[in-house]
Amino acid sequence: MIDSILLVDDEDLFHLVFEDACSLLDISLSLKSISSADEAAAMFKKWFDDKTPEYRPECVFVDLNIIGSSFDGIELIRKINFEYGNHVVIGIISSSNESEEQAKALQAGAQFWIIKSDDIEPRLEEFKKDYDGYKDKSASFKVYR
Amino acid sequence: MITPDKETRRQLIELKEQKDICLEGNILKTFKVNNDKEFESYLEYCNTKDKDARKKRMGITKQVQEQNIRLSHLNEENQKMMNDLQNKITEIEESKLTFEVQNKELEEWKKENIELTEKLQSEMMKSEKARVDAEAAKQNAENDLDLLQKKTQNELISTIVKVALWVIMGVGFVTTGVYVLTLFIGKDTQVISAAWSNIFGILLTNAFSIVGTIMGIKYATENKQ
Repeated sequence: MIDSILLVDDEDLFHLVFEDACSLLDISLSLKSISSADEAAAMFKKWFDDKTPEYRPECVFVDLNIIGSSFDGIELIRKINFEYGNHVVIGIISSSNESEEQAKALQAGAQFWIIKSDDIEPRLEEFKKDYDGYKDKSASFKVYR
Repeated sequence: MITPDKETRRQLIELKEQKDICLEGNILKTFKVNNDKEFESYLEYCNTKDKDARKKRMGITKQVQEQNIRLSHLNEENQKMMNDLQNKITEIEESKLTFEVQNKELEEWKKENIELTEKLQSEMMKSEKARVDAEAAKQNAENDLDLLQKKTQNELISTIVKVALWVIMGVGFVTTGVYVLTLFIGKDTQVISAAWSNIFGILLTNAFSIVGTIMGIKYATENKQ
């Protein structure tokens, strides 16, 4: 089971769906949902600057296009991986399935890409099975369709 | 992991049995059972209840999401229709503007046409007046010419009459003179008297004939006018 998850998505209703799905599938103990990439970046920066990595979530799910934020999900992943110390399992959760964007995400250090749809549970279940590979960095980039 | 003491476990189970109030959420995953079958059963019940509630909530949330997506699509379609409508309105406004420009041009052409018509009418009136003037001048000229012709004719007639009368009178005087001379010198006047008489008669006849002809011509000319 994942200890803690951070979801960065501008859609509040998806927060509820994701939270319930994670709870039903016993994916995580703790889940925090926020709507802004700027807020997420600020949180990671603080943990990095304060040298308090224990407060960081174990896994981060980032939406591709976060309305109301000054940068998109791929940029947030790049910042977390290359500016704020890495050490989290991180990937995209988006309704988009564009290979060009997926290539960019991979370049920014994303480890997975989950395609958002009405039936998110099977994908999360599959992700749960692969999670250990992401944690020890042995699993390669995967798209959950 | 949390291991609640016996009293806490009892209170939690009592709360569930009396008021159906249960623990819920991820806190349930942190409890350690330690061979307490009753508390294990309690946690199972709480988990089932929590999962049922979450399933129900997730179903409703998904429905709301779907409705939101449908509404979003409808909004997009509506926006598209509004844009199309706006484009049509813009086209109509442009057409209206074009029509207005054309109407303005037509109005200007009409105005020019009216001005040209007025000018043409004015020119026609001038032309008509000129024609009337010309006809009047022509009539005057014809009258003058006629008058001149008549005058010339009258002068000619007068000259002819004068000459004829002078000839008649001359012939009369000469014939009479010759007859008188013959009488004075005592010559035979039989031939000359007959000749004088004949000539005089002829002269008088001719004189009256000339006068009659002249009067006839004058009368005919006056009637013709």
